[in-house]
Amino acid sequence: MSELETMIVVDGAGDGPRQRYELEDVGFREVPKQWRKFYRHWRGPGDALAPNEVICPICKVVIRSTRELRPGDKVYCMPCMSRMVVVRGADGRLEADVIF
Amino acid sequence: MTPASAGDIELHDLRDQQFLDEVHSFQFWFDSVEGYLTDRPYGRDADVAVPVLEPELADRLVTTLCNYCLGETAALDGASSLVHDAPTRNAKIFLATQVADEARHLEVFRYRLGELGIADPEAEIERRGNQALVEFRGELLDMIAAGDWPAAVFAQNVVLETLEYTVFRFHADNADEVTRQMLRGVVADERRHSGFGENHLGRWLATEPSGRQRLQAVRQRLDPLVAAIFSGALDDIGFAPADRPPLARDYVEAIDRLGLTA
Repeated sequence: MSELETMIVVDGAGDGPRQRYELEDVGFREVPKQWRKFYRHWRGPGDALAPNEVICPICKVVIRSTRELRPGDKVYCMPCMSRMVVVRGADGRLEADVIF
Repeated sequence: MTPASAGDIELHDLRDQQFLDEVHSFQFWFDSVEGYLTDRPYGRDADVAVPVLEPELADRLVTTLCNYCLGETAALDGASSLVHDAPTRNAKIFLATQVADEARHLEVFRYRLGELGIADPEAEIERRGNQALVEFRGELLDMIAAGDWPAAVFAQNVVLETLEYTVFRFHADNADEVTRQMLRGVVADERRHSGFGENHLGRWLATEPSGRQRLQAVRQRLDPLVAAIFSGALDDIGFAPADRPPLARDYVEAIDRLGLTA
């Protein structure tokens, strides 16, 4: 998450307040300009996912949302054209399962 | 089609069909490649210096590039032939963009061969081509000739593209600067190609469960070729067996997600 990105509001959807994020383009250039802020490259060991991020299991790009992600949320990976649903993995972290 | 406009909207709130129309479109392709190909002649920064490689390293790179040309030619032949057989207009449009991608890949690899002193790339590709890759191309073209769309998409966009995506990514991390930049641009294209194949077939299998058995048979027939192509690619790049990464992981994961593990 960029330092310039700020949590701007909290909404009451789902099981409780959900953080919302103002996204900025962080240099992912593989989709059209208007969609670039929704993706970033995984930076390898030492990188960590923010609450509004999940990794695409197909192309390994980090998918970002303007809101905190929760199990059941749908996300799209434009770089590999995939639709996914957010799930909680065995280790408790959020993951994405591909929807065909 | 209602065009998706960005503004302040949440991308992930798009309707499924709106998303699919967007990512299959020629406009999406054009605006995507603009981000990483504009002002990059032959896939690299205009001012990057072409390095002089040690003779053995240069020779290995020539062999590697010859096989990349072989793979890209197979994908170019495959994608261009599949446009006709594609069952939807979105698939036809997407495959047309893939044809352009494959032609560009072939061109940049041939250009790099020229920089390495290869005057007759066709003869060199013929001489250095991995036999498994030649056989794979034959299998792919046979499937297309037989009108077997699912098998051909599986062979081309799942198997071949996942192979290329994985090998190119790994090679880019271990290549000279010119080759690295060139491969990074190709990898960005391969994400779309392999994603199209997996998602298209995943949707097809959801409505045609019997197709799974057919594709498993195709997979079993192609697996020995896949193993030989991976192995050959790593030999060409110059990695000793002990240092080899699990290159087949992306391929195995894709097969698992499609439920094609035998």
